[in-house]
Amino acid sequence: MMQVPGDVQIIKEDNVTHSFCGLACVGWMYQKIKDSFFLILGTHTCAHFLQNALGMMIFAKPRFGIALMEEGDLSKNEPTLEEIISEIKADHHPSVIFLLSSCTPEVMKVDFKGLAHQLSTPDVPVLFVPASGLVYNFTQAEDSVLHALVPFCPEAPAGQKSVVFLGSVNDVTADDLRAEAEELGIPVGGFLPESRFDKMPAIGPDTVLAPIQPYLSRVAVKLERERGARVLHSLFPFGPDGSRVFWEDLAREFGITIDLRDREKAAWEKIRTQTAMLKGKKVFLTADTMMELPLARFLKSAGADVVECSSAYINKKFHARELQALEGVRVVEQPNFHRQLEDVRRLKPDMIVTSLMTANPFVGNGFIVKWSMEFMLVSIHSWSGVFPLANLFVSPLQRRSKLPAFDQEVWLEGVMPSAE
Amino acid sequence: MRLAFWLYEGTALHGISRVTNSMKGVHTVYHAPQGDDYITATYTMLERTPQFPGLSISVVRGRDLAQGVSRLPGTLQQVAHHYNPDLTVIAPSCSTALLQEDLHQLAAQSGLPPEKLLVYALNPFRVSENEAADGLLTELVKRYAVAQEKTAQPSVNLLGFTSLGFHLRANLTSIRRMLQTLGVTVNVVAPWGAGIDDLRKLPAAWLNIAPYREIGATAAEYLAETFDMPAIYQTPIGIEPTLAWLRSVIAALNAAGAEKGLPPITMPKLNAFSLDGMSAPSGVPWFARTADMESFSNKRAFIFGDATHTVALVKFLHDELGMKIIGAGTYMHQHADWVRKELDGYLPGDLIVTDKFQDVSKIIDDEMPDLVCGTQMERHSCRKLDVPCMVVCPPTHIENHLLGYYPFFGFDGADVIADRVYLSCKLGLEKHLIDFFGDAGLEYEESPVSAAPQADSQAVSSGANGNASFETAAPVVAVADGGTMIWTDEAETMLKKVPFFVRKKVRKNTETFALGIGAPQVTVEVFRQAKDSLGG
Repeated sequence: MMQVPGDVQIIKEDNVTHSFCGLACVGWMYQKIKDSFFLILGTHTCAHFLQNALGMMIFAKPRFGIALMEEGDLSKNEPTLEEIISEIKADHHPSVIFLLSSCTPEVMKVDFKGLAHQLSTPDVPVLFVPASGLVYNFTQAEDSVLHALVPFCPEAPAGQKSVVFLGSVNDVTADDLRAEAEELGIPVGGFLPESRFDKMPAIGPDTVLAPIQPYLSRVAVKLERERGARVLHSLFPFGPDGSRVFWEDLAREFGITIDLRDREKAAWEKIRTQTAMLKGKKVFLTADTMMELPLARFLKSAGADVVECSSAYINKKFHARELQALEGVRVVEQPNFHRQLEDVRRLKPDMIVTSLMTANPFVGNGFIVKWSMEFMLVSIHSWSGVFPLANLFVSPLQRRSKLPAFDQEVWLEGVMPSAE
Repeated sequence: MRLAFWLYEGTALHGISRVTNSMKGVHTVYHAPQGDDYITATYTMLERTPQFPGLSISVVRGRDLAQGVSRLPGTLQQVAHHYNPDLTVIAPSCSTALLQEDLHQLAAQSGLPPEKLLVYALNPFRVSENEAADGLLTELVKRYAVAQEKTAQPSVNLLGFTSLGFHLRANLTSIRRMLQTLGVTVNVVAPWGAGIDDLRKLPAAWLNIAPYREIGATAAEYLAETFDMPAIYQTPIGIEPTLAWLRSVIAALNAAGAEKGLPPITMPKLNAFSLDGMSAPSGVPWFARTADMESFSNKRAFIFGDATHTVALVKFLHDELGMKIIGAGTYMHQHADWVRKELDGYLPGDLIVTDKFQDVSKIIDDEMPDLVCGTQMERHSCRKLDVPCMVVCPPTHIENHLLGYYPFFGFDGADVIADRVYLSCKLGLEKHLIDFFGDAGLEYEESPVSAAPQADSQAVSSGANGNASFETAAPVVAVADGGTMIWTDEAETMLKKVPFFVRKKVRKNTETFALGIGAPQVTVEVFRQAKDSLGG
């Protein structure tokens, strides 16, 4: 048990979960940074993962690929990537190549930093991104990508006070956050990451870093240490409650006092139908994308009964405010899925927020589920995200109420090959 | 080391889990880093399994490696405690294979009875999906099959039917229907739906049926050697192969029945195999003879896939629809010799053997066939080239897990395949009208060549995980290949008069011709020369 302010107790288990490794971040990062190439030094398994689990089909020329390590490559001291890098440069003309590690070369103790350094040219830097499943879960490798980008963020001079939003979001969300900040009188320094490699934001001692994704604690600490930037410790801007606290806290960093209680009230009013449906509902979050803490906090504020909030990684400083807001909720770090399954059967939650791997079997066991990954693919940030966020949670409940009664004895017969 | 974007065959772990996910009371524990159980999603999302597949991960973390700790014994105990399987298969991952951990020793440390554990320690760098699945199935058959009395009435085992197999459920139904019509009982289907006890009773059947070259044939060979069980390896795809398969089944069962003094099985009247029991069992033979199908004789088909389906489809298109085969290939290196032998006399050139989809795409681009039968990847390559393509084999995809009955096996399967050919190809009378009038009013607005074509959104959103694909989040921009040569307006107008569905091909051929004669751009004159030189 780990003590955090507000006496929230975090139960830590053994991480026997169903979730993806850090390579999953390629799925959104290559689309976010449009002049990049993501090269994974990995095996057949990494390639199979990307093409199957992420549903990535290859059209024309994708801006990611695998430098495929085959049996013959295992005996070599250092992988030779020069030819592959030349091929990538000739075909894609990227401004930056991210070199992602995976489990096999990590076990081989490949010197990735040295390798990236060797392959870098002044025109096209090759940046090492640790992403292997030996260390990183799902979204955590975005933290590694941003970490690698830090040297390419110019130094902002002292006195240049502005906010840099931390975390990749699509352009619409970015524009929205920027407009909101400017309206409040907060100068915007940019986003880490921006959509182009040569446009990364300047960061200096008077930069306020506002994390907008909950899985980026390492890069926040690095920028605090190396640039003297201040990291905003607030709620993440999800839901009426999170948005109010986030913007009020951010404005305060700039000496601006604002009261957004009316706005929050109006936002809750806007989703009154949804919250009425969520009120008193037992919700179980199994751990997948590391968005679980703020999602659970929104659910709690909306009146739901969060019976378990599990997450693969919890940082008691970075997540302090969310943890405080979750007081009274059972919070588990690195949960054990077998135990969760037993608890789910006992607690009978009204909804389970869970991974792609486990969603349908939970439904087969009679539960209502929501794919955790969907929260990463829908714009749920800030005020304009309130409605989509609430809808994501109620849509499975509504849908189930529309479907006719289901006799599983009849309709599931023969569906599961291994069923008795 | 090579740059890979996409692979035809999955990993060894995938092959192992396909077998164990098929089976009752069998669990797989992957000794692997976080994320290697992404494979679970292929079952829960493609097959939409309503229960949790028997797949657990014994997580290997960097910290454990540093401390020399292995969680495998503990995970095995957890699995035994929660699920109590009859058998747990322990499989290594790339990284744990590299560590050369002694999985046998670690498994023993769990304290679980050794007969409930099977360490399947193959080399994941050397063995791929199909070989691993075939190997594990054989291993399990060796471990459990015991000599016993044959069943009193004629019975067969169906081997190689495996989770995520191509149109697996429908194929199994088709085979079961045919056997039922013959009055033959199915003793065991394996691995699909089989438990350990089912494997034990395999030798009770009179005959093994192993229609897939990739999975199941090795187990049938083992059973033939050890228990003297006859086996049939033919694939009942197409009308003649189905009839031949039925005759083989009857002959093999009658040979066994004769020893027992049982009356022989006779081939029933063929309408007994139809869905209503009173019609022709398939529409294909008549369909192929109708006047409107005459245009098929000129159709140029290219086939690429696994071993089983490549052989079957080449024969079907050639022998039963009278199409012209311009080439074929397979990504199954280890079965290439078998494919070559089977297709002797069918192919105008050498069999293509490659696991690089770019090679296949290049051939299609060069040949511009009238029909391609391939994998999901060929479907994508063909979309870009506007070449008709139908998917005939794995790697599997959400679109191969439809709800309807679409077998490839048997008489029903022949109908399904012929329908797909019909819907994929451009056809008879319609084709004449289009050729004669240029477009027959069928032309759609063409987007300018310079604009990068949008990847088709339907395919994008239906990746392995259905609509949760990351690709839905942003448009994917494809780079237009070629199109670099300048065409004069007059030449462009002339090109417009060419039927729209061959226009891309004509454009490409003309540009190649222009390059060949050193013309800097395509003028009306160059276009005419090209037309003459390329035979109109």
